[in-house]
Amino acid sequence: MTEEKKSGLDAIDEGPTASDAATPTGGGTAGDPADHASVQGLMAQFSDAVMRHRVNAGDQHVVWIDAARSHEMLTWLRDDPDQLYDMMSDVTGLDYGGGRPVEVVYQMYSTTHKHILRLRCELPLDALEIDSVCDLWKSANWLEREVYDLFGVTFKGHPDLRRILMPDDYAEGHPLRKDFPLRGRFSRAEQTRRALNQEVERYYLAEDLDTGLVPQEAPTAEVRRAEDAGGDL
Amino acid sequence: MGLKDVLPGSGPSATSGGIFGAGSPTFLTSKVDWIINWGRRNSLWPMPFGTACCAIEMMASAASNYDLARFGMERMSFSPRQADVLICAGRVPYKLAPVLRRIWDQMPQPKWCISMGACASSGGVFDVYSMVQGIDTIIPVDVYIPGCPPRPEGLIYGLMMIQEKIRQESLTKHFEHRAEDPALVALPRASDLEVVGLTGPFGNSTQQEQLTGGVAVRAESPSDDLLS
Repeated sequence: MTEEKKSGLDAIDEGPTASDAATPTGGGTAGDPADHASVQGLMAQFSDAVMRHRVNAGDQHVVWIDAARSHEMLTWLRDDPDQLYDMMSDVTGLDYGGGRPVEVVYQMYSTTHKHILRLRCELPLDALEIDSVCDLWKSANWLEREVYDLFGVTFKGHPDLRRILMPDDYAEGHPLRKDFPLRGRFSRAEQTRRALNQEVERYYLAEDLDTGLVPQEAPTAEVRRAEDAGGDL
Repeated sequence: MGLKDVLPGSGPSATSGGIFGAGSPTFLTSKVDWIINWGRRNSLWPMPFGTACCAIEMMASAASNYDLARFGMERMSFSPRQADVLICAGRVPYKLAPVLRRIWDQMPQPKWCISMGACASSGGVFDVYSMVQGIDTIIPVDVYIPGCPPRPEGLIYGLMMIQEKIRQESLTKHFEHRAEDPALVALPRASDLEVVGLTGPFGNSTQQEQLTGGVAVRAESPSDDLLS
């Protein structure tokens, strides 16, 4: 390799490397909406907001929808008597890298009609925002926090949007993004220092944190050295 | 091997009805060092800090098949305040680092530490953004046990190495791991250079020039999108 080895930090400034952004994500085979009542319903109800429809793994119907209208469509899917998706199994994120949009994936189940449906919303990298569905499903709360933490997607209207897996004061970005370097952005020394400087007082009682070491009673380094040398201080 | 076999002056004496039966002496002599170390090494209560699969092996070690209690680890001490040896079994993420450090600080002296398995000792396969690359960057370690995870025999051997270490200690000397400055509570054990050295040849993917240059600058002024 003749080219000078580049730091991972350079990639942050230069942006993602070019790739075939035209290739649609998701894989699977072309789906027939007639196979799934909810897909049919979505297409009838929100014809202009349904962008693509594919079938994965035989019978997993995946519908790409317009992120701007996601909340409206999810509300309909939850409340319409023919849909009744009362269970939000999973909210997760996807980043294919290469400048392609970050996606938010909703995995839903209807315990009434025994239907499974997956919705995906594409969010351009410069506008990672989507409406929160916490008001529709309580289970979305922590799932959306996780997507925010690891992908940096902002959920508008979320009651408590803060990091959930990474430390609260984590300043290196959102780790599951493709442009995030595997070992983090800071040096190991800086990472260790930051980790030990976390505000543990926020999570634990003072008596839980008490070490029992009283500074006046325990010998200081100088006293110890004097003792070792056999002199008295 | 009982006290009778190893203590000086334990031969037959004229006095009968001694503490070890007829013909044994009615007194014991010993060195303070010896008797204290004997007590310490045969009553090592482990503080289990189990975070992953190594903890399964640690539990197996304590269960009846391997029975750690045979060697004096009578029970797992789930409070650091009654523990003698910290067994860090499993990977430690950075978010858990202050907890591990605090538990170590809370253990009374004298105390020892075992780093069990590859992840605790070096980060193992988790050479990633979230994982502490060896707990020796945070707390002092006496014995490292290799393995992924080590078998219970490995853990027992490690504990017996601690016992051997205790046997050679003396009250007249301060040991490095005993010398604890309260001012250093919750601070990294290793300096920046040591951390970089301990975390292996790869350092950090974004900064092979570990301690110089742009990274510190980046740390102080992360761009807005990093903080958002």
